[in-house]
Amino acid sequence: MSFLAPLFLLGGLAIALPVVFHLVRRSSREKLVFSSLMFLKPTPPRMTRRNRLEHIFLLLLRCLAICILALGFARPFLQKPMAATPTNTAGAQVVILVDTSASMKREGLWADAMDKAEAALKKATAADQVAILTFDDQVRSVVSFEQWVAMNLSERTVLAVQRLAESKPTWHSTHLGNALIAAAEVIEDAEKREQHTGPRRIVLITDMQEGSRLDGLQGHEWPRDLEVVVEPIKAKRPTNAGLQWVMDAEDSARAAADSPVRIRVNNSADAKREQFQIRLSGVTGGDSLDAYVPPGQSRIVPAPKLPTNAVAERITLSGDEDDFDNTAYVVQPKAEEINVLFLGSDAEGDSSQLLYYLKRAFQDTRRQAVRLVADEVTRRTPSPTNPPPHVGGYKLAIISSTLSEERGGEVRQYLTNGGTALLVMNDSLTAKTLGQLTGAPDVIATEATVANYAMFGQIDFTHPLFAPFSDPRFGDFTKIRFWKHRKLATDKLNGARVIASYDNNDPAILEVPFGRGRVFVFTFSWRPADSQLALSSKFVPLLYSLLDQAGGISAQLAQFRVGDTIDLSTLATKNGGSTLSVRKPDNSQVQLASGEARFTQTDQPGIYEVLAAVVPVKFAVNLDAAESKTAPMPVDELERLGLPMKSVEAAPALVAAKQETLHNAELEARQKLWRWLIVAALAVLLVETWLAGWITRRSAAPIEAAA
Amino acid sequence: MSALAATQTFAKQNASAPASKLISPQALMAIKNLELRARIVVEGFWHGIHRSPYHGFSVEFTEYRQYSPGDDPRYLDWRLYARSDRYYIKKFEDETNLRCYLLVDHSRSMDYGSLGWTKSQYANTLAATLAYFLHQQGDAVGLLTFDEEIRDYLPARNRIGHLRRLMLQLEQATAGTATDLGAPLKRIVEIVRKRSLMVLISDFLAPIETLEKNLTTLTASGHEVMLFQVLDPAELTFNFDRAVMFRDVESGRDLFIDPATARKEYLHRLNTHNEAVRATCQRLGAGCRSFSTDRALELAMFDFLRERHQRRKSGNRFARSRK
Repeated sequence: MSFLAPLFLLGGLAIALPVVFHLVRRSSREKLVFSSLMFLKPTPPRMTRRNRLEHIFLLLLRCLAICILALGFARPFLQKPMAATPTNTAGAQVVILVDTSASMKREGLWADAMDKAEAALKKATAADQVAILTFDDQVRSVVSFEQWVAMNLSERTVLAVQRLAESKPTWHSTHLGNALIAAAEVIEDAEKREQHTGPRRIVLITDMQEGSRLDGLQGHEWPRDLEVVVEPIKAKRPTNAGLQWVMDAEDSARAAADSPVRIRVNNSADAKREQFQIRLSGVTGGDSLDAYVPPGQSRIVPAPKLPTNAVAERITLSGDEDDFDNTAYVVQPKAEEINVLFLGSDAEGDSSQLLYYLKRAFQDTRRQAVRLVADEVTRRTPSPTNPPPHVGGYKLAIISSTLSEERGGEVRQYLTNGGTALLVMNDSLTAKTLGQLTGAPDVIATEATVANYAMFGQIDFTHPLFAPFSDPRFGDFTKIRFWKHRKLATDKLNGARVIASYDNNDPAILEVPFGRGRVFVFTFSWRPADSQLALSSKFVPLLYSLLDQAGGISAQLAQFRVGDTIDLSTLATKNGGSTLSVRKPDNSQVQLASGEARFTQTDQPGIYEVLAAVVPVKFAVNLDAAESKTAPMPVDELERLGLPMKSVEAAPALVAAKQETLHNAELEARQKLWRWLIVAALAVLLVETWLAGWITRRSAAPIEAAA
Repeated sequence: MSALAATQTFAKQNASAPASKLISPQALMAIKNLELRARIVVEGFWHGIHRSPYHGFSVEFTEYRQYSPGDDPRYLDWRLYARSDRYYIKKFEDETNLRCYLLVDHSRSMDYGSLGWTKSQYANTLAATLAYFLHQQGDAVGLLTFDEEIRDYLPARNRIGHLRRLMLQLEQATAGTATDLGAPLKRIVEIVRKRSLMVLISDFLAPIETLEKNLTTLTASGHEVMLFQVLDPAELTFNFDRAVMFRDVESGRDLFIDPATARKEYLHRLNTHNEAVRATCQRLGAGCRSFSTDRALELAMFDFLRERHQRRKSGNRFARSRK
């Protein structure tokens, strides 16, 4: 018989306790009546040689119970020979996954990675199949299984190392989760093709930095029997600080021209230093700034002030031990000027008119500056020295009154050329203007009869005009009341689309296409006497949405990260459809294909310049901030996400010992002899209890008889 | 035959005789009736000397007196008649009335026994035997039972029915929680003015100082005092073999005693105490006899009579008391 936990057999030594108990305790509970105690003194019970054990059988029962319990706890089992495990002659499938992200640019890391990869390759036997992948935010195959198998057996390792040496760390971020999934898929695909039965594992060679993205592994079901062996690369110098340019939000108020750029400095968790210096590169006479950032934390500091008339595009940090992330590239975006023409007879300062609210709705932001030009079409007397503004130069024309033939013609031409106009029907007479603009002279509008007030009943949130309001949180227009509106017959308007209607189903907002442009028609006005629209929170976003529909707001190029794809379609449009080329920070140029408006070669940080645009546009590409988080994360993090980790390959002797232990545990779990021993112990204790009680009763009876 | 002669005869006959001729206490104690027990012992004692127990008068011839009609003609001294031609009756010691008081300890400590009968039962049998013997001798016997106070008292009488009452009193159960000789002895001294024989039957398991003081009270009053100490064999040998909780039968106190350890000390202290009792008795001129409850009661009778004879020989004034 063998024991799974033989140490518990030492519990059998506890049988000394009942033996001592039987010697020491001499029925002290027995009482003997005596005539007088005047000649007696109390004596403590003691064990002497003359003491003899009483109730031997009771003692034996107690000792037996203890021995049985000790045996039970020692988990005995009957040894059976272990079945010979069939040796797995199939080789292993190994994928070596090497990190080539920006954090591997630190000193010495890539060399260590190469050494570890070479060591992993040398461990491969003749039957093993090895593939090598490199990863940053993309996964690239260096050597596939097929290529490995095709190589000469004696040259495999050398050739693989040579191919791997051609790879270098990039500027891209680390998507570790996706890389592991890709490596697993490579193995599974190979297994499906070849019906491989041997062990499978992924050897991960990486610096295990905190900034590695693992979100791809969340919820991913990892394949069974696929182990991950982590070969972590440790940096020789732990202190690393990085900096990022903090951009303002696009819709924030436009900052003053001389306000400083804001920089975020973050320090790695295992850093040994806390003081760093920030300066502007390429600028003579620029100041440097000290920044104090404790390990594991970040601080936002203003960049040093620029000298007068200087333009800086690079901010550098010094004071840490790795400089791969010590430069931030900055391109301050310029606010785009958007011109809007108002054709109406409103006075600017009249709060009962439309223009007053228009002026206040369009505010300058960092992204755009809206210039509203009002042309008083009725009162103004055109003259050669004071000609009316030409409609064609404006992004949006807002019309609130009837137009002259000449002006109407201009607007019609503007619409034909693709312009966008908004007609605000102050009264039913503006229907004539609508007919003038859309070539539908018979269109008629009447003053609607409003009982108390009207409100929007139906809104088409699929139309781009109302797309910003499609979220239910923003789509409630029921609080806006209309006391007056016009009832417009839309049957005369070709292609008119009702975007919003009142609760009595009369159209409220229409879109009428004309030429390449279109007219948005409001059958109401936002004068306070007519409606509450100008005073509601929906007014300004509705106007900006209108401006966006008019093409007035275009996407700005400012800051991107390495690996981002940049949409240059707006610039291509401005360029009149001709091809664009982009100059990279290393001064190389990339010509985009005809019709291609997406630039993908943001593979290095720096200032990129789009050439051949009407106005050259620069944009900055910086490192992903996560790459600066270089403190190593624990390997348990991968285990927590469900990856079966194997950090050290056990020696064969250890493996055999472990297998034998498992075999013994399995035998014991099947036999469960400890249960029978517990039952036997209980039976012995029951007999002991009964016997002890019987002895006690028997001892008490004679004493009572004597008394 | 005089009592002395009877005692000597009894001793000679039983010295060489096997012990089985004496009635075993076990057999005696099996008899429920106390008076019957007493009679058996007395008759057994007399049977041992082949004399009728109904002798009438006890013990020693002292002098003659002239015959009066009605006297028992068996006591006529014919030799003196031959010499004097007159009828004279032999006058024995106890022709004048002996008063004897049996002071029997009925405290709880006497309620202990390891042989099947208690010391109290043995003491009662001893007292009953003495009472029976003396009553038959024509002596007046009284009884006083006590524990920490006097329980019962019977004055010394020799009337019809008195012995019966005495036996009934002796059969009363023990109830006292302690032993106190002081109160009963003081009381008996107050009650009994005439000098009497005081037979004190107890285990005397009380502090020796108290005992000496109480006995002095008794002996100073002129009474003849005899002490019969009754002890159980277990008290005398302490032959227990298990360490148990010993409970005092009077106080209820418990003590854990290992007999193997405590025996030697206990026996030493017991013997010292008993020696002190004997020494006190000797000093005060009181007789003292120690009885184990496994001892035949005839021997107790023997001891009683011999003790009295020894006292008389030593010149005790009481031997010559007159009415």
